Amino acid sequence: MLVEKSIKDLEQAILNYNIESAKYSAKKILDEGIDTAAAIKAATKAIREIGEKFHKGILFLPHLVMAGDAMMAASKILEEGISKEKRERLNKGNIVIGTVQGDIHNIGKNIVATMLKSEGFVVYDLGEDVPIERFIEKAKEIDADIIAASSLMTMTMPVLKELIEELERKDLGNKFKVMIGGGSITQEWANEIGADGYGRDGPEAAEVAKRILGA
Amino acid sequence: MKIEYLKTLSNNEIRDIHQATLEVLERTGIRIYESTALKILKDAGAYVDEKNKLVKIPSHLVEESVKKAPKEFTLFARNPENNVEIDLEKVYFGPIIGRINIIDLDTGKKRRTTLTDVANLTKVASALEYYKLPHSGVQMPHIEGVADEVAHAHAYLISAKNSEKIVKGTCRDKAKAQDCIRMASVIAGCDVEELGKKPNIFTTCNPIAPLQFQEGQTSGLIEYAKQGLPIDITSEVQAGATAPVTLAGSLTVQNTEILTGITIVQLVNPGTPVFYGTASTIMDMRHGIIAKGAVEAGLFNVATAQLAQFYELPSRGTASDTESKVLDIQAGYEKAITLLMAALAGINYIWYPGTLEYALTVSYESLVIDHEICGMVYRALKGINVNDSTLATKLISSVGPGGQFLGQKHTIDHLEDEHYFPKLSDRSSRNDWEAAGAKDLREVARDEVRKILKEYQPMPLENQVECELKKIVKEIEKRELKSL
Repeated sequence: MLVEKSIKDLEQAILNYNIESAKYSAKKILDEGIDTAAAIKAATKAIREIGEKFHKGILFLPHLVMAGDAMMAASKILEEGISKEKRERLNKGNIVIGTVQGDIHNIGKNIVATMLKSEGFVVYDLGEDVPIERFIEKAKEIDADIIAASSLMTMTMPVLKELIEELERKDLGNKFKVMIGGGSITQEWANEIGADGYGRDGPEAAEVAKRILGA
Repeated sequence: MKIEYLKTLSNNEIRDIHQATLEVLERTGIRIYESTALKILKDAGAYVDEKNKLVKIPSHLVEESVKKAPKEFTLFARNPENNVEIDLEKVYFGPIIGRINIIDLDTGKKRRTTLTDVANLTKVASALEYYKLPHSGVQMPHIEGVADEVAHAHAYLISAKNSEKIVKGTCRDKAKAQDCIRMASVIAGCDVEELGKKPNIFTTCNPIAPLQFQEGQTSGLIEYAKQGLPIDITSEVQAGATAPVTLAGSLTVQNTEILTGITIVQLVNPGTPVFYGTASTIMDMRHGIIAKGAVEAGLFNVATAQLAQFYELPSRGTASDTESKVLDIQAGYEKAITLLMAALAGINYIWYPGTLEYALTVSYESLVIDHEICGMVYRALKGINVNDSTLATKLISSVGPGGQFLGQKHTIDHLEDEHYFPKLSDRSSRNDWEAAGAKDLREVARDEVRKILKEYQPMPLENQVECELKKIVKEIEKRELKSL
C-alpha cells in the first residue's frame, strides 16, 4: 500500500501543478526503493491527462507548462534511481531542439521540449538563435533521431526550409527526421518544405515525435 | 467639439506604470544583442554586462532621451497631397499590404502572397482616402516567387510605382535598412544624408518580448536613426506568455521595451522622430495563439495612447486585426471594436487594417471593408459640433411642430459635415437591395476592389527615377544572390 501511496502522491502533485510536492514525492520514492520506472510511467499518465484536458479546453496553457515543470523536476530525481542501461532501454529517441537563427522566441520551444522529455525522449536543447550548422553538428554528435526546429516569426520561417535543404545537401536527409513548429508554422508549410512532422502545440508535438519514430 | 479621449488609466496609474518601468530598467535590465547599441548605451552611462548583453539604464538617461524626441514631424509623400503631418492630435490609418498569405480575390482560397499582389494591394491602399500610412511589401520577409534576400528591394520598387503615398521601409537588418534608405533618397532626389530633413520613409522596430532587442532589427534601427528618419518602436507582448498575465504588468514590460528603443534612437541621433507603439495583446491560453482581435488589445491601445500622451510622443497602435480566417461577423466586430477603441483614445497611427487570422493573412476585400470602418471611426472622432447654427433654434421655430426639415437650406448646408455616408454598407430597402442583386458585403467589396484595380492610375514615377531604382535592385541582387 505504501508503494502505491508515494506514486499516487507524485501523480497528484503533477495534476496539481505543484513542483515542490512533485520533488518531495520523487525523493520519497527513491528513499523507499520503489520501482522508479513505474513512478515515471504514472507521472507520464498524469501529464497526458493534463494534455488531454488542455486539448478539450478544460485547462489552459499555464496549467500545461506548470504540470510539465513538475513532471520534469520529478523525473530528474527519479532518473538517479535508474541504471544507465535501463535508462537507455527506456529512451524513446534522441532529439535535438532549438529556435532557428534570427529568432529568439523560446516559450513554445521550451513547452515542446518538456513534453518530449515527459514522453521519454532524451532532449538536447540548443536554445534560441541557433544556426543551421549547430543543429546538424549536435545531431551528429549525439546520434539524434529527430531535429526539432522552431520559428515563431514569419521572418524566420524560410530558415526551416534551408535546414531541410542543407540536410539533403549533406546527404543526411534520411539520417535525421525533421520536426517543425512555432506560431507561424502550419502543416501546409511542413508539407511544402518536406518536414517529417509538425505539431501545433506541446502535447501534439510529443505525439508526432512518437509517430515519426514508431515509438 | 472634439471628443474627449477615451481613457482606461488614471493619472496616478500612469505614474505607477512609469515608476515600475524605471525600476525594471534599472534593476532587471534589458538584453540587447547588438554591439553598437551596447557601446552607445555604455558610453552614455548605462550599466552594461557585455557577457550577458544585459543593459541597465538609469532613469535620468531614459527621461532625458524621451524629451529629445519631437512631438510632431512630417512625412513626405511622392505626391505632396499625401504628405502626413504627425502630431499628438491627429489620427491616421495604415493598412497592411503584405503578409505571407492572401485570400485570392477570385477563388476566395488562401494562397501565398506574390509580387503582383503587393502591386495590387499597394494600388488599392493608395486609392483609398483614409489610408495615409500604408505598410509596404518592403516589410514582408517572404514574397512568393522572389528570393528572400532581395524581396525588400523588389517590393520597394513595386510599392513606389503603384502608390502615391509614403513607402515604408524595413529595418530587418543593416544592409536592408541601407538599401531602403538609398532607394527612398532616389525618389526624394537627394543624398542619403539629406533625407532626414524631409523624410519620405520610416520604419518599425519590434523588440522581442520580454525585454530583448534582436541584433538584426537593432542594427537596422540604428541606420534609420543615423539619418534622422522616423522610427516606430512597437512592443508586442503577449500577456500571460511573454509578459505578466496582468495587463498592468504587461504594460510595464511594453513600456520598458519602448523606452529602451527610444533611448537608443535618441543617443544615436538626438531629435530623431519616433512613434511610441503597441502591438500588444493577450495570448489565448486555450490555443497558445496571439489574440490580436481581443478586446484586451483594445485596452492596450487605450493605455498606450495615454502613456504616449504622458511622454508627449506620437503613438502607434494596432487595430482592425482578427483571429477569424474569413470575413465573417467575428472579423467585423473584432475589427470595429479595436479600431474604435484605438482611435477614440487618440492613437496617432493605427496599423493593421486589411488583415485576417492574427495578421498571417491579408485580404483585398478586408482592405476596402476596413477602410469603410475607418471612415465611420473618423466621423465618431469628429464628435458633435454645438453652436448657434447647429443648435438651429430659429430653424426649429420656423419649421415648427409637424413640419419637416428635408426642404430646408440648413439641411443641405450642414448635411455632409454632419452625416457620414458609408460607401459599401447597405442601407437600402429590401426591395432595392434585392433588385441590385441581393449582394452580401463581401461581394460588394470584391466589386469595389476590381473597380479600383481597373480605374485607379497612380501618378507614374519619373523615367529617370524608375531606371535608377531598377539599377539599385540589380545591384542588390548581385550582392545577395551568389548565383548571379
